[in-house]
Amino acid sequence: MATVTVQSLTYTYPKQSRPVLDQLSGTFPAGKFSLLTGVSGGGKSTLLKLIAGLLPTSGSAITFDGQPLSAIAPGKRASTVAMLFQEPSTQFTMDTVENELRFALENQQVPAAEIADRSAAALAFIGISDLTHRKLMQLSGGEQQKVALAIIVAMNSDVILLDEPFASIDPPTRLILLEKLVALCTERGKTIVLADHDLSGYQQWVDHLAVLAGGQLHLLSAAETRDRFAAFTPQHLRLTHVQLPSDQLTVCLHGDQLGLAHSDRQLLTPQDLRLYAHRTTLITGPNGSGKSTLFKALVRLGRYQGHLTYHDTDIQKIHKRRYARQVGLMFQAASAQFLNVTVAEELALSQKYGNRTYFTPDRIQRLLEQLNLAGRDDQVLYSLSSGQQKKIQLLCMLIMAPNVLLLDEPLKGLDYASIQAVIHILTTVQRDLNLTLILISHQLSGLDDLVDLHLQLADRHLTYRGVSA
Amino acid sequence: MNPSLKLALIVLIALEVSFAQVWSVNVALCVVSLILMLWHHISWRRLLWLTLVPLFFASTLVWSLMLRGNASDHFLWVLFTRMFVYVYMGGWFTLTTKPLWLTRSLEQNAKLPSKFAYGFLAAFNLMPKIKAEVATVRAAALMRGEVLHVWSPRLYFKVILAAMNWSDQLAAAMTSHGFVEGAPRTHAQTVPLIARDWWLFAGSLLLVQLGMFIGLP
Repeated sequence: MATVTVQSLTYTYPKQSRPVLDQLSGTFPAGKFSLLTGVSGGGKSTLLKLIAGLLPTSGSAITFDGQPLSAIAPGKRASTVAMLFQEPSTQFTMDTVENELRFALENQQVPAAEIADRSAAALAFIGISDLTHRKLMQLSGGEQQKVALAIIVAMNSDVILLDEPFASIDPPTRLILLEKLVALCTERGKTIVLADHDLSGYQQWVDHLAVLAGGQLHLLSAAETRDRFAAFTPQHLRLTHVQLPSDQLTVCLHGDQLGLAHSDRQLLTPQDLRLYAHRTTLITGPNGSGKSTLFKALVRLGRYQGHLTYHDTDIQKIHKRRYARQVGLMFQAASAQFLNVTVAEELALSQKYGNRTYFTPDRIQRLLEQLNLAGRDDQVLYSLSSGQQKKIQLLCMLIMAPNVLLLDEPLKGLDYASIQAVIHILTTVQRDLNLTLILISHQLSGLDDLVDLHLQLADRHLTYRGVSA
Repeated sequence: MNPSLKLALIVLIALEVSFAQVWSVNVALCVVSLILMLWHHISWRRLLWLTLVPLFFASTLVWSLMLRGNASDHFLWVLFTRMFVYVYMGGWFTLTTKPLWLTRSLEQNAKLPSKFAYGFLAAFNLMPKIKAEVATVRAAALMRGEVLHVWSPRLYFKVILAAMNWSDQLAAAMTSHGFVEGAPRTHAQTVPLIARDWWLFAGSLLLVQLGMFIGLP
């Protein structure tokens, strides 16, 4: 058991003037399951990284039962605190599950004779003994998170930190992981801090809420937590005018016996799929169900089963260069889209090859103002906040104005005002240029005006939904 | 054979071959490496690659020297076979050595700091990721109307940027799994370094020296 105490902690990212955490103080009680919430970009990840010792802190702002991490012997640090990352694949050093477990236990100086037993016991506790000899990179995101948790169990860490661990995980796996976490908490007395900006689906599992806002941490009591959960209503998709596709619509992309798989897990059972031109289609479905994989297949960045045609031509038979100008993808990670260094250079590249008659310099300037990005021409893209990056990324892809634009989480990490601005711009540009927009979004409010068609991915099948559904 | 000693043996022989001009030793080394590769069930596809690529480069080199130089036939043969020595010995080494086993051996037997040993391994495990990143960058560029070729600096700028990001991620991953630079570690598996390894090492080197003396023109 270990209590985590944070005392007047201030943290400013290099090259930024405003601290993300400002004189923050708080306690995460021992043996309890705390849910850390707050808006995206509010500093949740930063706080967890600081507690885990992955970012340098000065002095003894963070202590475990009164001891700062630097005072704990190197071999004992991992048994004090360990962290599970948001992006499952980025937390391993080795090739196989077994080797990663060995690596972690060797670091803790566990005698060689005990390593095999401890590894086996940890894998059995999480229920993944069958994965022992598998290659980590071939596992699905959910399996990787299970392995990461098994490693933390093997290291016997007192404090377990989880940074939005379910961001790319399907619901059944999420449930299993939550059950295991609660068991670790109640049976083994572990202190658990889990960060998530969405409160839905946590009420029955956590002991209390910790709210991070404005650089400050507020720990709610059990009663306050109950009230907070009661007042919270999960975001619901309210689409009032979506309709089932009619026969009059033109099919732009057509999948014949289209199937998708991730390593050995089938995400989409082969089916007939039609995507319609000049409309805005929203694709919804649980995390990790294969929405992004579908987009990658549509732009020929991933494998698929069956045939995909674009206006009746097999997409594999269209010249790569031509096809890329017809069907564009706004990646989920903004940095994947950027090819230059500064904002001005990036916009200039889009203007060079994009739709210049519509996107005149004047219009672009107006759009930048609407997005609250004016006057940042010389700023380095990678020094922008994630929300600003997202908005520049969207603008760059809109200027290209491909016939079909796929948008993977275009609203992720944006504040309310930006979401309104982005949806307004998308609606206008789509109407003016008669584009085909297909988007994946977990951010559902405000989409009503934009969306014409709704495609739902459930039970490995994509189905169009009408208003009632 | 112990991986660290095997690596040392190959590097020493390769160095010696680079300076010596005895084509018979080169041929002998090629034959021995070939037999060892066949013994370890090398796939025909891989063997074909390992043969065709150096064949192309060795032939063009020898050919251009024949046209434009006054090198002796003996020297041309030395150059031609030397290329195969490097590739076949390297082929035998990679075929018979698992990266993790080599890492463990470098850490335990050669006393290389664990930071370097595991850094090397992690870089090796990063290969498939780099491939995927290159594909993504090229696709992103195509969507913007730019064609990035293998020689486009912009491609490397992006990949290097991604690699820097990965190196941070990797450092975080290692730390979160308890790795502390310079701290003592235990070893789940011990890489043996037995007398037989040393005999093989010394014997092979000796044989090469004998060959060099006998084969000297």
